[in-house]
Amino acid sequence: MADETPTRTPAGRGPAITVDPVRRRRVLGALGGNHVRFCYQCGACVGDCPSARFHPGFNPREIMLLALLGALDRLIAPDGIIWRCSNCYTCYERCPQDVRPVDVILALKSLACEDGTAPAEVVEVAESIRRTGRSAPVLASLAAKRAQLGLPPLPPVDVAEIAVLLAPEKAADAPTHPPREEGA
Amino acid sequence: MKAIFFPGCLIPIKYPQMERAIRSTLPRLGIEIVDLPGLSCCPDPIFFKATDPLDWLTLAARNLSLAEEAGLDIFTVCSGCTATLSEASHLLREDEALRERVNRRLARIGRRYAGHVAVRHIVTWIRERVGLDRLRESVVRPLDGVTVALHYGCHLLKPSKIMRVDDPDDPQILGELVSATGASVVRHAERFLCCGKGCVDAELPETMTHAVLASIAATGADCMGVVCPTCFSSFDTGQLVIARKRGERLEVPPVYYFQLLGLAQGMSPEELGLHRHRVPPRSLLAKIGAATR
Repeated sequence: MADETPTRTPAGRGPAITVDPVRRRRVLGALGGNHVRFCYQCGACVGDCPSARFHPGFNPREIMLLALLGALDRLIAPDGIIWRCSNCYTCYERCPQDVRPVDVILALKSLACEDGTAPAEVVEVAESIRRTGRSAPVLASLAAKRAQLGLPPLPPVDVAEIAVLLAPEKAADAPTHPPREEGA
Repeated sequence: MKAIFFPGCLIPIKYPQMERAIRSTLPRLGIEIVDLPGLSCCPDPIFFKATDPLDWLTLAARNLSLAEEAGLDIFTVCSGCTATLSEASHLLREDEALRERVNRRLARIGRRYAGHVAVRHIVTWIRERVGLDRLRESVVRPLDGVTVALHYGCHLLKPSKIMRVDDPDDPQILGELVSATGASVVRHAERFLCCGKGCVDAELPETMTHAVLASIAATGADCMGVVCPTCFSSFDTGQLVIARKRGERLEVPPVYYFQLLGLAQGMSPEELGLHRHRVPPRSLLAKIGAATR
């Protein structure tokens, strides 16, 4: 199987794709539902997609198809095409089947994160939030800058509390029907 | 009205001048700002949400539970915070099983979220609760003759069935708010385009940012109006990157809506930090006779 990112070639005439039901269930599990299966490949998600407009390799309809077939390799590989999604939610507005392609792409991004293939800048923002409770670094000069503007000091964040909240769930905590599958 | 101020990260840390504008302009509209200790990042609706959706929902629920305990709703000033907290509040209200799962996490720190907090970007509440008349009455220096091209950004409006602000294909809200300051709104071809900040790619963010800026530059508007600090950084710092890489000086100054309102309410450009911007709004300030250094 060719190991390239999806192109505008219709999948049926492109490189062969191996359907993988186990990996397909992994995507459905990450999404916490089966609504993805209602995608009938109409392409309404493509027309107003800004990433599709400016990046020849990005096509939300093809991403949906590959996800439905369980052909995840091309999607969640390092530097995979899913990271070109701008998260603008236009496809969510346009989809007549309420499939929410942007949420499917977000679920694929989580699988990429589990596999350790997420881009460095994504990992960096996530680590900052886990460690400091904030998405941006606080520079030493900020206190003076805020005081000069007559603003109160930046309130502290209880980082210990955040660490407790984000500790992995124990098996006992997990419900019978989890909204998304946890890594083993 | 009285509500909890959710400052988020970018505004208090990177653009405190925007927080100054918020804290100065809202009381003049009769809005009582309540500062709630202990709030964290919303958290980030793109990268952090991608790394673990349940962690994302749990931190959002912690913020919501703090507001619920205080018995007040939340107003946001950043479209990213609006996206996270609105979606989290929606999910936790609609999906009882998910709420229980998140509450098992919150129980670790002795908290619980029952699902009662409403979250709105403050521009939405200005239209819904304050009213445009009161907004107009707060203006002491009308921005007559000033032209503003709007960039709505994505997460104020979409997904529309959760955000419930305006028709994302024909939004009116920011135009109404800008007109109340006396400025006029200029339509431009790329008013629905994303700023591109959420894309991880060597070219895409810059390509989208450039398309929006070029579309506005063609109108000759005095400035562009934004309501999100992430969009702002794309167009402010991003514009310098474009100038350096492409040798193209677009001269489209992005201005946060509450800085515009602050000018209209009589604040000085320095108080509003407009002199700190990478692309200062010179023609805007010249037109209202408030030129900065």
